[in-house]
Amino acid sequence: MSTKPFRPDVDAPKYEGKYTPYDIIREGTIAIVVVGLLVILLATLFGSPDERAITIKTWSNADPIDFATTALGELNGTTITAQYGAPYNTAAPGQNLGPLKLAQFAGVTIPVNTVRDFVIAPLTSQPYNKNLSAALSQWKGASAAQQSSWVSNYTKGASKMTWSNGTITVPATNTGPVPTMINSLTAMARSGALDQALVTGGGFYTTNYTKPLLFVADGTYLANLAQKQHLLGSQWGMMNETGSYPGQAWLWLYTFWYQVSPFSSSSNADVQVSALMGLLSLLLLLVPFIPGLRSIPRKVKIYRLIWREYYHS
Amino acid sequence: MAYLWSLAALIPLNNYGHYIHWGVIDVSVANFIVVVLMILTFIAALFLPFPGRNRRKENQ
Repeated sequence: MSTKPFRPDVDAPKYEGKYTPYDIIREGTIAIVVVGLLVILLATLFGSPDERAITIKTWSNADPIDFATTALGELNGTTITAQYGAPYNTAAPGQNLGPLKLAQFAGVTIPVNTVRDFVIAPLTSQPYNKNLSAALSQWKGASAAQQSSWVSNYTKGASKMTWSNGTITVPATNTGPVPTMINSLTAMARSGALDQALVTGGGFYTTNYTKPLLFVADGTYLANLAQKQHLLGSQWGMMNETGSYPGQAWLWLYTFWYQVSPFSSSSNADVQVSALMGLLSLLLLLVPFIPGLRSIPRKVKIYRLIWREYYHS
Repeated sequence: MAYLWSLAALIPLNNYGHYIHWGVIDVSVANFIVVVLMILTFIAALFLPFPGRNRRKENQ
């Protein structure tokens, strides 16, 4: 009868040492008690991050010009959301992985028309106001070319936008109902009504904050706050927390790829980094089957340090 | 509500954090401390004797 040769990476030699009892329940109980006490102690000492939520109301009150500029961007289709592509619209091909057009495969699953959803629909939901009602009627009754012309004329003067006495003013002519719409939307935002208008719908509980989050992210206010807190993708933000609290340090490798070429300048970085991390995770999962890689623990011999008494004897 | 304030953190950390820059590396001091503590715990786990070792020896 032939016997298989012993393979050090795969086969385990028969253990012929002594056996000692081990009370895993006792060890587990001690671990839970110690960790529980540590949690209580650290929570008492340091608390937890307590940043106030950023809403359209806080944004438009802190920086009405940034809000109005963003609202105009939603109208003329120049914001991130308006130009994103899937899952919101078909304005761009979206992210792909080589020849795999992944965003297009998934399609538009959360349709967002920034003109309709962020400007016209919220304004239409407002209680009757003579000026706003007339402006909306004028807008809805105009051709697409006319609407585009009004928005284009208003956009030309938008770099000189001012905010005074609760009114947004832009030095531009032939802008039709656009000034009234932008001012009404700004007033609506500052009152908090726009936050409510954008989360309403979809069921009894209004927990879908996709639209207000997209709107806020289209402005520069949120990005500036994030930059101060080191939360941008280019600042290793994925592993940071607000304030001086420790964050998600275990995401270091994921966020590391975003800092280095070619990912740091790629428009498909999210998909590429996800694919790379998936590949690395697969490698880790398959370590026992990969010759060479599976030999590292045996050759490094850290196990002999842990079980030094056994190997010493 | 006043009693709730007594539950507030003794050392609140909501002020802006400090960061360590080294080439492409950009890590918060808080994260760095956590990583150092994890490494020290790992080293301690390697070198500290198993608890109950002496008791087990006596039983043998």
